[in-house]
Amino acid sequence: MRSMQARLFVFRLVAISLVSMGFAQVSTAGMIGTRALIEHEARDGRVAKLESLLNRQDVARQLVAFGADVDVVKSRIRNMTDAELAELDGRIDAQIAGGDAVGIIGAVFLVLLILELVGVTDIFKKL
Amino acid sequence: MNAAPGRPLRQPGASRVLALFLVCILTGCASIPPEVRDYGAGAVPVALPGTPFYPQQRFQCGPAALMTILAASGVQADLDDLTGRVYLQGIEGSLQAELIAQTRAAGRMPYRIDGRLSALVAELGAGRPVLVLQNLGVAWWPRWHYAVVVGVDSERDEIVLRSGTERRRITATRVFLNTWRRSGYWGFVALKPGELPANPDDGRYFASLSALEETGHRDAAWRGWQAAAARWPASRVALFGLANSEFLRDDWRAAERAYRQVLELDPALAMARNNLALSLLRQDRHAAARREAQQALALAAGDSTLENEIAATLAEIDAAAQ
Repeated sequence: MRSMQARLFVFRLVAISLVSMGFAQVSTAGMIGTRALIEHEARDGRVAKLESLLNRQDVARQLVAFGADVDVVKSRIRNMTDAELAELDGRIDAQIAGGDAVGIIGAVFLVLLILELVGVTDIFKKL
Repeated sequence: MNAAPGRPLRQPGASRVLALFLVCILTGCASIPPEVRDYGAGAVPVALPGTPFYPQQRFQCGPAALMTILAASGVQADLDDLTGRVYLQGIEGSLQAELIAQTRAAGRMPYRIDGRLSALVAELGAGRPVLVLQNLGVAWWPRWHYAVVVGVDSERDEIVLRSGTERRRITATRVFLNTWRRSGYWGFVALKPGELPANPDDGRYFASLSALEETGHRDAAWRGWQAAAARWPASRVALFGLANSEFLRDDWRAAERAYRQVLELDPALAMARNNLALSLLRQDRHAAARREAQQALALAAGDSTLENEIAATLAEIDAAAQ
């Protein structure tokens, strides 16, 4: 009885995951689903937010102080996958929970966070 | 985050107060942010005393709470049937994902509300009780529980819940917020097709509609997209969503009109132009379809995923034209 239940549970899990895979995108002969646009806009919003952070003088100055190139960091951000961008954005949000990011956590910390997540090692020119 | 609430509620008593006190010492009593605690501008006591009550059986607070908000939304559901669908015996509880899925199956759209008192007040004001997830234990020894908020009294600092076997459980707002905080302020309402939440967040509403559509509830989603396009006429996503939902109903002419409206807003939106081409193709207007698809392909330059999809559209148009 127990193993029957366990099997049923596993079956349901597999069934649910199969179903959700199948519905990953509503597609009737090539129609591009609404989710594609939603994800596209989320990405654009995140990139714009990060770039506006990098455009701040205090942040840019800190990047230069670390020997990093602002343009390289920016192009890195534009080339990040959706998941990586979401993580970076989430990490910054978790630190600030609303309000002015740089004012609250400080330019140094913010820059370190960004450098860590865009992949520090080959961004640094001096180190 | 998935939780498996459903363990039985005990009567509050001295031991619980003592436990809460100890918890405060041990966890440092993380404070509730002011924007969460705020009842909202001009908040008065709001209550929905007419909300039906389904006392929970054994650990089944999930089905009971879900039944409550569905019945309040006018759904004729059967508690035993619902219990069979959302209650997992192995974990003596229900998963949040199951509650969400069954809300959709019942013809309603789950919409997660903002995690703040003012959102509860606003939804109650609109006549909708709110299903919430509480952790009546502590983070490292959770006691998950689903309940339904049916009243908020800003004057007496009290929350009224349909909870467990209690028809009217009255909880001090501060205590409620502490139990709610531990679930990440998780709570949702069941919206009728085409109904908007009290203070809708456009992005979250669109994502909820999109999920509704993807899980096969296309008619309900279609009515929601109509409401969305009326509420946010300058939003690409709202208009694109409406157009796609027309397309999914095989209403090619309505879809064509709607795609043209999106493109009026943003002529460079390659996705909309691709779908417009398809809706023209379905009407056997091959030349016009090919023109739109070619234009879409040019707009998508650099986005290889999109380019591939549009190329497939062009191929389909060519095949149909022969």
